[in-house]
Amino acid sequence: MASVHDSLYFNPMMTNGVVHANVFGIKDWVTPYKIAVLVLLDEMTVSKCISLLEKRRLNKLILPLLQGPDMTLVQLLKTVEDCCPQLAYAVHLRLHLMADGELKDMESFFDVLPSPFNETESEAHKSSVVGLFMRHMVLAYNKLSFSQVYKLYKALQQYYKSYERKAPPASDATTDADMEQLAPDSLGRKVEKQDLDPSPSDDDVASTEPLSQKQAEYFLAQQAYFLKNDENKALKPAGLQNELNNMLKFNPDFAEAHYLSYLNSMRVQDVFVSTHSLLHYFDRLILSGSDSKSNGDEGYGRSLRYAALNLAALHCRFGHYQQAELALQEAIRIAQESSDHVCLQHCLSWLYLLQQMKGSDSTVLTEHSVKMAVHFSLPYLASLGIQSLVQQSAIRGKNAKKLINALKDTDILHWKHSMSELIDISIAQKTAIWRMYGKSTMALQQAQMLMNMNSLESVNLGVQQNNTEAFTVTLCHLAELHAEQGQFQAASEILKHLKERFPSNSQNAKLWMICEQKIQFDRALNDGKYHIAESLVSVISALCKTEGLYRKALVLKAQNQTSEAYQVLQGLLVYCEKTKCTEMTIRVMLAIAELYWRSSSHGIVLPLLLQTLALSREHHLQKLASETVLHLAFSQLMLGIPEQALNILHMAIEPILAHGAVMDKGRALLLVAKCQVVTSASVPADQRHQALVVAIQNLEEARSYFDKVDCRDRVRDIFYLQARLYHSLGKTLERNKCAMLFRQLNEELPSHGVPLLTRL
Amino acid sequence: KKKISILMALILPLLLVLSSLCSSCLAAILAFLSEDAQDLDAYTLAKSFYDLKEYDRAAYFLRGCKSQKAYFLYMYSRYLSGEKKKDDETVDSLGPLEKGQVKNESLRELRVELSKKHKAKDLDGFGLYLYGVVLRKLDLFKEALDVFVEATHCLPLHWGAWLELCNLITNKDMLKSLTLPDTWVKEFFLAHMYTELQMIEEALQKYQSLIEAGFSKSTYIISQIAVAYHNIRDIDKALSMFNELRKQDPYRIENMDTFSNLLYVRSMKPELSYLAHNLCDIDKYRVETCCVIGNYYSLRSQHEKAALYFQRALKLNPRCLGAWTLMGHEYMEMKNTSAAIQAYRHAIEVNKRDYRAWYGLGQTYEILKMPFYCLYYYRRAHQLRPNDSRMLVALGECYEKLNQLAEAKKCYWRAYSVGDVERMALVKLAKLHEQLNESDQATQCYIIYIQDVFSCGEILEHLELSTAFRYLGQYYFKSKRYNEAFICAQRCCDYNDAREEGKALLRQISQVRGEADPASTDLSLPFLYGPLSATNTPVRRMSPLNLSSVTP
Repeated sequence: MASVHDSLYFNPMMTNGVVHANVFGIKDWVTPYKIAVLVLLDEMTVSKCISLLEKRRLNKLILPLLQGPDMTLVQLLKTVEDCCPQLAYAVHLRLHLMADGELKDMESFFDVLPSPFNETESEAHKSSVVGLFMRHMVLAYNKLSFSQVYKLYKALQQYYKSYERKAPPASDATTDADMEQLAPDSLGRKVEKQDLDPSPSDDDVASTEPLSQKQAEYFLAQQAYFLKNDENKALKPAGLQNELNNMLKFNPDFAEAHYLSYLNSMRVQDVFVSTHSLLHYFDRLILSGSDSKSNGDEGYGRSLRYAALNLAALHCRFGHYQQAELALQEAIRIAQESSDHVCLQHCLSWLYLLQQMKGSDSTVLTEHSVKMAVHFSLPYLASLGIQSLVQQSAIRGKNAKKLINALKDTDILHWKHSMSELIDISIAQKTAIWRMYGKSTMALQQAQMLMNMNSLESVNLGVQQNNTEAFTVTLCHLAELHAEQGQFQAASEILKHLKERFPSNSQNAKLWMICEQKIQFDRALNDGKYHIAESLVSVISALCKTEGLYRKALVLKAQNQTSEAYQVLQGLLVYCEKTKCTEMTIRVMLAIAELYWRSSSHGIVLPLLLQTLALSREHHLQKLASETVLHLAFSQLMLGIPEQALNILHMAIEPILAHGAVMDKGRALLLVAKCQVVTSASVPADQRHQALVVAIQNLEEARSYFDKVDCRDRVRDIFYLQARLYHSLGKTLERNKCAMLFRQLNEELPSHGVPLLTRL
Repeated sequence: KKKISILMALILPLLLVLSSLCSSCLAAILAFLSEDAQDLDAYTLAKSFYDLKEYDRAAYFLRGCKSQKAYFLYMYSRYLSGEKKKDDETVDSLGPLEKGQVKNESLRELRVELSKKHKAKDLDGFGLYLYGVVLRKLDLFKEALDVFVEATHCLPLHWGAWLELCNLITNKDMLKSLTLPDTWVKEFFLAHMYTELQMIEEALQKYQSLIEAGFSKSTYIISQIAVAYHNIRDIDKALSMFNELRKQDPYRIENMDTFSNLLYVRSMKPELSYLAHNLCDIDKYRVETCCVIGNYYSLRSQHEKAALYFQRALKLNPRCLGAWTLMGHEYMEMKNTSAAIQAYRHAIEVNKRDYRAWYGLGQTYEILKMPFYCLYYYRRAHQLRPNDSRMLVALGECYEKLNQLAEAKKCYWRAYSVGDVERMALVKLAKLHEQLNESDQATQCYIIYIQDVFSCGEILEHLELSTAFRYLGQYYFKSKRYNEAFICAQRCCDYNDAREEGKALLRQISQVRGEADPASTDLSLPFLYGPLSATNTPVRRMSPLNLSSVTP
């Protein structure tokens, strides 16, 4: 039994059982705000006393006023006042007269309005933007029914009244008084006030004012753009969802709102709502495209294909790879059946992405995708493909020259088509690649380039850069590069900036979070504060599992828990080799080598290190290669062939001094000094003296590097070595000084029992 | 003369009311207080206006009345006037996006006044009911629930309050947590509630006990029982109940759409035609009538006309859920998938828990050859009706198309476990096993299937029986159990499409037997019709699988 309270009358807006949202086919409706704008336009054409500057400012204002969402009168008058005070006053006056007068005042206003059209000279010429708007409004007004006109007038009065109420500062008292009259019983007044209060609070006016079709579209487009390019400017997820729900309540056929709801719930990783919204969107989209029943390029066959593709993308983003694959297969099948090459191309791009996410080799697919994209002249997809290809090849250690060349070629393409997003990505990618290759100077240069570049399509005037992922990546690299050079102050400045630009609940926040943790971890480890490092490990693991495991092993190693560390590293090594994560593999192998040193098995280390060296050379990872050489030299030193060690050290020292981190520089010089000391034992006395002086100099330089990164542990070691060397040179004064400094540090620092010499 | 006539006009209704009251019972006269007497004129006048749907006018003449009855009519008129204006406003709104904002303006005032009275404990049962309705309309469900419970305590015999309560209760626990008055109406309410919550067994029990308690002639109960049988798809019983109902209450229109659904499912054309014509004679502008006629045309495969009638039903009541779904089905028949999707979406908008609409959406996408895409919709439908085999079979088919055979097997097995309506799940399962070369399991499934078909005694044509016998024959032949194979081969010969193969198998068997042991032709093993013994069935290896792992 249908409840009597649901609907007493049938809805005349329905035809054929379908409720039409827009019976009259008008997209624009007259609202009080629109009347105010009309008054403004009318005043502008009529009044003669506007200076040229003011006129220019007003003209600039018109377009946003026409296209933006409805403002309150306070906001409107304020914006107008900023441009031209006397005009604002005139508008205010006319609205006041209209609202305080009678219905006929409004009617006569609309009667007078069309007059500017008759003058060919005026700004409100028929075909101008303003003229079109005016004509729209007049048309919409004329189509209003009797009761609608009265309602509009009532709304106008309300609109003006709300302005008047807000204008004097002591307005709250009156509203409260109103409330008291409404709900005189004192007990439940607090509750009642919230429930019964019909007037919207000042902040969310936009959410309760009905939007016109056009404004709603504008709102959706703007929010979607913000979500993509600059999340901070978009509404908060909860707020946006509220707004969308509101919009959908008013107009359930507004399909785009469902899509935005999908994007919004992706932001907060809500798989249920996002799936629901996405499918709902496509269900609705299929409706709107139902006029053309063909399965061709247009019509709903097309949206079906993209529906499946989008579903695949959704599963991809949530990491449901199996589902994503099934959905993708479906999309591909439908696209093939209707031979939609563009859709197929998109499918192919997702396919290689999926393969990549699953960790398998997708180079062939990507190459194929790029070729096809070029063939069908889809520059965006082609560039994305090339970038993805470059990334994969870089990780797999392909020829570096070719990669950089390919990036350069795509850059030309980007500039030609002004694809600003891709330009940003390309530069960020170059930064990352240079950094991976261990050329920090080049990386730094690329990062600076992006930082100093203005985006081609900026979100709003004044700000030239969008807060996209590319910027996050580059800024993170920048922070890490600075931290490597011991400029922690600068690094923390950059991180502060990152936090401001990408608040911690935004999509890209994860990137800087892990970067910050890594920097802190390195500092803690260098400083010997292992307990701090240990506490950071859990945070890092939460953000990135492999990195977390690696760091855990490092802490264990530093705490002398050798066997535990070895277990972790072995597990990690197997995992990295399976996922072909070369960079991490090399780092893990080096860590394992260091573990071997602990047990003084330097002989065993050599084959491992040679393997590491081969691997890093093959992948052009210069930084890791030099580090491996350092390890190798150290092992040789420990095996008693310091000459050989010195020989190979010469290979590594140059790149390290040029590109390496401060820590590496220090370690390299320390090792050189050690080797020099050991080799000096076998040379004649006078040369020996010379060699020791050089060694002391090297040690001094190493010490300055270690000082930079607060590595007091190693500084202590260096003081010790220096003291011994001075002693053997017979320089008592210097020796005593070094010994004293050593002594001071030794008292401060806890001794971890790591023998001085068995460490690189 | 004029004066007399006016006097008469005033007195007459009074007399009428009095006489009706006198006849009703003594208690009512006692309750007929002086206040009521005072307000009687105004009340009667207002009631007439109310009956003419002039709510504001009715409210105006009732404004000073003190009696409870007049007060209720006063408030109720104001409420309905607000509702009427709201509906009128919807048409005249300023712009499409403003439409959803049209509110019943009087609700707030009504709430303030009623809450004041409520606090002073000044509301009778009807007043409480109205207060509850107002609260519900303001989306204050929690408060509304409490007020409705209070209303049922105050006036247990007011079914309206119970019905409103029914709309607010969403699950079993909520129902249990309420303290309801202990009267016989409660039994009706509980039975109704159980039907709504799909607890059909409990509902049927309640209704049965009500019939035994003296309501055996109530057409309401009969109709409810029929609907309950319809919900659990016990078509025969439902049909007989509806026929009984039609006999007792021949001019009834309510629930007849459900009846027509049943007739449709059974393809009973003449009966459906008779029903449609009959209802059309009674009242052709009723939602139910339109639905019945729509079903009638649908059965005659005149889908355009069917859709037209469902549209008419929707014009009469846009919130009529069944019509949306049925229209979706019609569009599906007409291969107009986009319109079907639209109709189903509308149905879901009206009621999110409408499993048929979700299922229909799934079917639409399945027709569009998007098996993965429709999984989501089938899953939704399955969530709403966890024990309905049709959704499970549909899910299984989709998984099969996606080559997710493990999941498909789980679905089919589950579909069989919850009681397969169409008896297709086992055959599909068997074929899957066949495909995977799991012959033991396949045999098992076929045997259960054959037993199932024969045990229910239906003489329906089951296409897959021959397949089952053919497979079983081959299986037994391969495992050298010639007696069983022989029986199966013989059974094969009963079916046209498998006759040749059956004969071939028979020949093979006799050939093999001739070679091995010509004497042992013991055909007294009616294994298919007797209970299964451990010797002649393969060991059951499937276990009822945990279905929760199917839906990721």
